[in-house]
Amino acid sequence: MARNLRKSYGEFEAVRGIDFEVRRGECFGFLGPNGAGKTTTMRMIYCSAVPTGGTLEVVGLDVRRDEREVKRRIGVVPQENNLDDDLKVRENLIVYGRYFDLPKKVIERRVDELLAFMELKDKADSAVEHLSGGMKRRLVIARALVNDPDLLILDEPTTGLDPQARHLVWERLRELAARGKTLILTTHYMEEAARLCDRLVIMWGGRIISEGTPEELIERHVSPQVLEFNADAGTLEALSELLEEDADAVEYGSTRDTLLVYAEEAEPLLEKVRASGLEAENTTYRRADLEDVFLRLTGRRLTD
Amino acid sequence: MRGVRWPSPRGSYRVWQREMTIFGKYWKTLTFPNFVEPMLYLAAMGLGLGAYIRQGGIGGESYVQYIAPGLLASNAMFAASFESTYNTFVKLKIDRIFDAIVATPVNAEDVVVGEYLWAGTRSALYGTGFLAVLVAIGELFLPGSPLITSWWGLLIPPFLFLTGVTFSVMGMLFTSLIERIDYYAYYFTLVITPLFLFSGIFFPVENFPAPVPQIAWLTPLYHAVNVCRALAQGPSAGTLVDLLWIVVFTALLAALPVRIMRRRLIG
Repeated sequence: MARNLRKSYGEFEAVRGIDFEVRRGECFGFLGPNGAGKTTTMRMIYCSAVPTGGTLEVVGLDVRRDEREVKRRIGVVPQENNLDDDLKVRENLIVYGRYFDLPKKVIERRVDELLAFMELKDKADSAVEHLSGGMKRRLVIARALVNDPDLLILDEPTTGLDPQARHLVWERLRELAARGKTLILTTHYMEEAARLCDRLVIMWGGRIISEGTPEELIERHVSPQVLEFNADAGTLEALSELLEEDADAVEYGSTRDTLLVYAEEAEPLLEKVRASGLEAENTTYRRADLEDVFLRLTGRRLTD
Repeated sequence: MRGVRWPSPRGSYRVWQREMTIFGKYWKTLTFPNFVEPMLYLAAMGLGLGAYIRQGGIGGESYVQYIAPGLLASNAMFAASFESTYNTFVKLKIDRIFDAIVATPVNAEDVVVGEYLWAGTRSALYGTGFLAVLVAIGELFLPGSPLITSWWGLLIPPFLFLTGVTFSVMGMLFTSLIERIDYYAYYFTLVITPLFLFSGIFFPVENFPAPVPQIAWLTPLYHAVNVCRALAQGPSAGTLVDLLWIVVFTALLAALPVRIMRRRLIG
């Protein structure tokens, strides 16, 4: 739980007063572009950055006063894999378990369970540098679970992974959530947020600019149906003028060769395009998703 | 900021334990160069240069007898200095091992103290091996004039632990202040090498004109060499002054890298 949480580095304000409350057992997401303040917020939660202002309680404890106790009860998956290259896969987990002062027997039992859970059993005696990106990430997640934490903090858990590796991580995270662990994660993948998070906030420029379930956010910020036109600049401009009046919103995508048209009902708009005779063959119709919310809330400011 | 944060002995022990685990795996590779280097100095200076130094040597000893204890001290300095500079830099900035550790109940201050203790341990381990070799060389090749003449010599390994901690504190201070690994060239050229040459290992600095002896007195290796030589040949009351100097110097400086490193690791 955070109240008016702030963090500055010199003149630069990375987090400018945010409030949020994560409930026990839920998966809570921080969605936002790079530099939005997500990682800084995570670092404050896992006591690797000290808040400049406001209050922050993690597992019911003040991060400034009860630093060690907070860290004892959480698991951390940092943005970068900082595994111990001098140690083999299994040794990485054992040495990490020792930092929590766990008895040797407990560590060894958990390490075996975690290697199985993260599908790393065959790699137990491999050198870390010989692991694939997906395996390294799974090992970092296994490492974060070695103290059986109440709360797991994941900073971009699947960034840079291929689709198979990503799906495996998602599956395991859902399983952890089903077992009652509280998860806090950051991501800039909309799909990830939509699949995993019960609730999420969207951060931009050090502030929380929206909050809710994935469905609520879509409903609140964008119309349910989207037409995506891909054509040359002239055609898009003509389409934009044509549809502006009837659509809820007309926007260029992140690249200027895509035009996004939002509406309650897309069919009448399509009719209108056909009637106009404009060449818009490369057109997709889809339901609005978090990506649209994200672009609406953060992207448009860049193009405006 | 709130008051001083004290390192936890358990946390420091866990950091030390990590280093020990890795050392246990690779000790053969790690130990060899550190072992050969003082032997090379002993052979080149002790036997090579020593041959030109007339019978009687320095203060009634042969030249090789004179330099052997000092090399024990400088070997501890080098071991702890490499540990607290290059090795620590890699863990801090390249492999980011410290970032992973401080996300556990082990705090930044425990990491620094654990590294001090580890550098001390490494210096003592190397020193014990080198000491054994010095004793063996004396027995086998120098009948009648052994390199270690006093039973006080048994206290050399624990003393080298202290010396290791002292140089770890210095190296850690430098590491906590720099952003690029290249700066270590300055540290070794401007701090470690002059100490190695002007701390009374190869010749008594007392014979130099002022202020060289006075400057030497203000530096740690000078006192470490005095203590090693005294333990190898039987100490005097003055040895306690050297020992006290090292303890006070280390204690005064030790808190500084802890503070700076904490600020670096915890934003």
